[in-house]
Amino acid sequence: MFERFHQDARQAVVLAQENARRLHHDHVGTEHILLGLLDQPQTVSARVLGRHGVDHLRAYQAVVDALPPRPGETLDADALEAIGIDLAAIREKVEAAFGPGALDRPAHRNRRGRVFGGRHVRFTPRAKKTLELSLREAIHLKHRCIADGHVLLGVLREGEGLGARVLADAGIDFTALRQEIVAELS
Amino acid sequence: MSDTAQLASDAGSRDPAVGLRAVRALRLLVDRLEALQVENAREQGWSWQEIAVFLEVSRQAVHKKYAGGRGLLRREK
Repeated sequence: MFERFHQDARQAVVLAQENARRLHHDHVGTEHILLGLLDQPQTVSARVLGRHGVDHLRAYQAVVDALPPRPGETLDADALEAIGIDLAAIREKVEAAFGPGALDRPAHRNRRGRVFGGRHVRFTPRAKKTLELSLREAIHLKHRCIADGHVLLGVLREGEGLGARVLADAGIDFTALRQEIVAELS
Repeated sequence: MSDTAQLASDAGSRDPAVGLRAVRALRLLVDRLEALQVENAREQGWSWQEIAVFLEVSRQAVHKKYAGGRGLLRREK
């Protein structure tokens, strides 16, 4: 499916993962896709959302508020230092082997119960659905490739993820937003 | 260790709040490292038995903790 993604749309997916890592989340959800779109301020999706008063900073804060870091999942550097363990040094070595954030995300189980370590940031079913819907939006509009605007249409069409909720909470009228995006895309 | 941490350590070595918090933090750290290392070993083709030898636990224990699934119905080496 990704071969039909235009550069900006691909970059939004990459930045969605990057935002999830930054937030120490172990998943990429619709909220991270939204943040990925907003992280490229020059794109159609970011400009249209900007007109409705939503930029990356505001959306990021809304996501942090909705999914605050759980205290039990944060490594306690001070407590470790009190017994002579330098968490920063350990983190540096682990990240060199397993990538940024590998130590700061909790391990998780997949549906079959298999454990995966913190280097994985998996896509939620809603996020996958959103990307599928962005393809469907492009086909429906008879566009040859998927731009970032189609991905935003996917977020709106999926409708129930945290990404859509952040937009709804900002008072955005989805019907009006859709029309603006479609107008910009054609 | 920084001077501050040394002070904290000296002053609080018998303080259960400091000690227990450190144990809890260490356990979380170990759990994360173990998950990363077990997964990495599996990816490199290690059997559960080989992993168990290094962790000095039974094969069943490491399999139960990390492989998931329904055990009897799924066979993994």
